[in-house]
Amino acid sequence: MGKIIALHSYKGGTGKTLLSINLASTYVKREKNICLLDLDFRAPSLQAAFKTNDAEYWLNDYLNGVCEIDKVLIDFTQKHGRSGRFLVGLANPTTEGIREMSAKDRKWEMRALGRLLSLKTSLLNDMDLDYVILDTSPGLQYSSINAIVSADIVLVVTSLDASDIQGTQRMTSELYDLFEKKTGILMNKVPAGILSSRKEREKFYKYFNNLHKLPILEAISCSCDVLRAGGTCIFAEEKPEHSFTKAVEKIATKIERF
Amino acid sequence: MTMYKRLEGKPTRILEKIKESLDRLNEKMDVMIEIQRHNRRENQAIPDVLDVMTLLSLPDHLRKTAVTLCKLGQATAEEIAEQTKRARAVESGYLNQLVLMGYLKKERRGRKAYFFVEKEAEG
Repeated sequence: MGKIIALHSYKGGTGKTLLSINLASTYVKREKNICLLDLDFRAPSLQAAFKTNDAEYWLNDYLNGVCEIDKVLIDFTQKHGRSGRFLVGLANPTTEGIREMSAKDRKWEMRALGRLLSLKTSLLNDMDLDYVILDTSPGLQYSSINAIVSADIVLVVTSLDASDIQGTQRMTSELYDLFEKKTGILMNKVPAGILSSRKEREKFYKYFNNLHKLPILEAISCSCDVLRAGGTCIFAEEKPEHSFTKAVEKIATKIERF
Repeated sequence: MTMYKRLEGKPTRILEKIKESLDRLNEKMDVMIEIQRHNRRENQAIPDVLDVMTLLSLPDHLRKTAVTLCKLGQATAEEIAEQTKRARAVESGYLNQLVLMGYLKKERRGRKAYFFVEKEAEG
């Protein structure tokens, strides 16, 4: 049976969306059937990366009970010429859509959790997908906690920022542990010098493994190419030899064994 | 005196009976204490919505039961116990506790008791 993976972080701008897209793309290249869902309803971003705004239904509609999940999913399999299926569900990026989602009450959030939990049956069982990847909003928000509860694996993306590290530690003990989730850390935007030699790399992994008390799945070097691309380039597809692509490939392999 | 004579010769059985009664009493006390504690903590919020924030505020043993029921939609204590790997009687106690707290609903169908978060029709 397939797995649901949620990418989460304490702070914004850690690279969740870029990693989600590239992780999905890497699995598709490995002939896995993938569904990537944008659960960041406050700042939707996948529509920009996939250069589309013409979704007939949004994930907002699915959670509102307006339609079933198959109506939301856009098939990018042929457009990108991949081997596995590549389905994407977008969040409504309009101001009206964002405002509507931020005004939901607790009862609605409770039902939204039920709808998210039922994705395990509809996507993994009925549609026979290998992985569902959830790109979430940062911090302790309803949509992100709902995603974490629904997921089998949580990947926490963190930078070397002190507040980010502290926040991640807090979330580990007060959120991921409480829901007994398999959790791994992705250290992103690590200055290249820190990871220059094998010895330095080992020291880095050991230090952060102890600090977070969770496995560090990968330390990804900060890259000017990634910043320059502005989130519009799917590295796993367009730049297969790039160090960022190689790092994502390692993450994909580690998750398969996780 | 007559009663003492009737029970004479069966001290172990009597002690066992007393222990069983005390255990049952303790379980009930635990439920009451937990409900009181929870009501105090939640007295300003709407108490009957089992959303993720409520799940976070529950004690570990009840959270496990509640999350499992959220995943199954509706279930008997036995079905919950299969998932959590805890005894059916334990899960039954936790589920009834969550019903008393107002987070779950319970419905008898024949000989079985089903627990659920919310019926679609009520939405």
